[in-house]
Amino acid sequence: MILRNLKFALNSAWQSFWRNLAVSLAAVLSITLILILAGINLLVGHALSQVLDGFRTKVSEISINVSDDTPLTNVYEFQQQLAADPRIASVQFITKDEALKRFKSDPQNMILAQQIEGNPLDAKLDVQVRNLDDVASIDALARKWSGVDPTDPTNYQGDFVNRMLQLSQWLELAGVGLLIILLIISVVIVMNTIRTAVYHRRKEIEVMKLVGATEWFVRGPFVIEGVMTGLIAAAISLALLVVGYEPAVVRFKSDIGFIPLSYDPAFISSLARDLLLAGALLGALGSYIGVRRYVRI
Amino acid sequence: MVLTPDFATRPVISFQHVHKTYPTGTEALRDVNLEVPEGDFLFLVGPSGAGKSTLVRLLIREEKPSKGKIFVDGVELGRMKRRKLPHYRRKVGLVFQDFKLLPNLTVYENIAFALRVLGEADHSIKNRVAEALDTVSLYGKENTYPANLSGGEQQRVAIARALVHAPRFIIADEPTGNLDPATAWEIMQLFLRINARGATVVMATHNREIVDLLRRRVVAIDAGQIARDDRSGRYHDDFAKSEVRAQ
Repeated sequence: MILRNLKFALNSAWQSFWRNLAVSLAAVLSITLILILAGINLLVGHALSQVLDGFRTKVSEISINVSDDTPLTNVYEFQQQLAADPRIASVQFITKDEALKRFKSDPQNMILAQQIEGNPLDAKLDVQVRNLDDVASIDALARKWSGVDPTDPTNYQGDFVNRMLQLSQWLELAGVGLLIILLIISVVIVMNTIRTAVYHRRKEIEVMKLVGATEWFVRGPFVIEGVMTGLIAAAISLALLVVGYEPAVVRFKSDIGFIPLSYDPAFISSLARDLLLAGALLGALGSYIGVRRYVRI
Repeated sequence: MVLTPDFATRPVISFQHVHKTYPTGTEALRDVNLEVPEGDFLFLVGPSGAGKSTLVRLLIREEKPSKGKIFVDGVELGRMKRRKLPHYRRKVGLVFQDFKLLPNLTVYENIAFALRVLGEADHSIKNRVAEALDTVSLYGKENTYPANLSGGEQQRVAIARALVHAPRFIIADEPTGNLDPATAWEIMQLFLRINARGATVVMATHNREIVDLLRRRVVAIDAGQIARDDRSGRYHDDFAKSEVRAQ
């Protein structure tokens, strides 16, 4: 019986979609545009998170400068103390000589390196912190250590990191906000489309109810029609986004080279899943709300 | 054969002190008490706006009473849960003055529609629709659309749809209102046949000739109240003075 009802609902939904083709196509088009915007939002969000991940790895690494008069045993002790800290991923001790070698090997420092006499560089402890939020407290810990160079304790730039963190949080929030607005708009569009279809079929619905159809029997075809509309829109928007994704990344890369954008084909499968799921759910939800008033027995 | 309703047994339809006031303040029914035994054939008569249609709407649970109780087959309609309502409506066959046929479906599809919503299998639908078409003498018109049928034929399709799921009750609201006298009489014959098979029939009507000829139970409603309930009555009271009163 469930299969027979499903068959009836599918047939009705299909017929209704074609019978009100103009309205159906208008809905598909509107939802396609919204899903494209939602898709772009997801792609931009993904690119930003890639950039931010790179940035996070960079800023979660701090160098603690060791004062020249600090005994080596003292440095090793502090290195061990840091290594034992669960917040820290790794600690590496760079001696003065190594620091100078690294400085000289960097082609950017070539001219400066020729003018250096002796070794003005500090030995340092390069610390990789697991979580970006803990960098400030590790920095504070390092500054309290007796062996730290008091004139230039660490390379941590608290303000900059905090600002970047705040910015990334705001961007994330804005992305989610935009996504919610887009989703609400598409629910309203589906709702109105289905209302038009329901209005055309109000007599049929009245008869259905009078002969003893359950609410779900009446509602089913409309919900399926909504899902169909959503899925078609999702498929079209996905196709357009997939075609446009790589050229857009290439174009942006050449225009704004300092942002490390990259084309990530692996993200397409998750984008496809999100868009199709969103399309189907929006369609179903819009229809459900749109048909509710008429279906109520 | 005509079944004689048994007034001694528990009624299948019972109105107990039913009032209906619409949100606009219109008082459509006032303290209505009515009992309908199984197999009864009852005419609801009265002037327009007297409350007949409200009574029908309460019976099919399109409306709930403002006060009082309505029992059908032992179930109180006012307290029936919404999800139970479709199952109740499947026990009822409904016929309306405007037929309520779907214009984009053929005669066959219109009748089959009542079975499709019940989830019946295709072969069973085919057999039952054929039976219903036979009952209303519309065999051969399966593939015709309602627009190509006469008023009488359209009403027969509506009756076929109302009886195709073998309901225990037929509720008809002015079923002959749009038909000429000869056709109206044919339609009435159909209702009598359905009643003879055991279905209880409640019919709101303005058709005086039919009511007077058939001499079935007549409940007259006036200004929202039951003015008269005759077991074998006529349309107007002055013809029925010598009749046995039901109550």
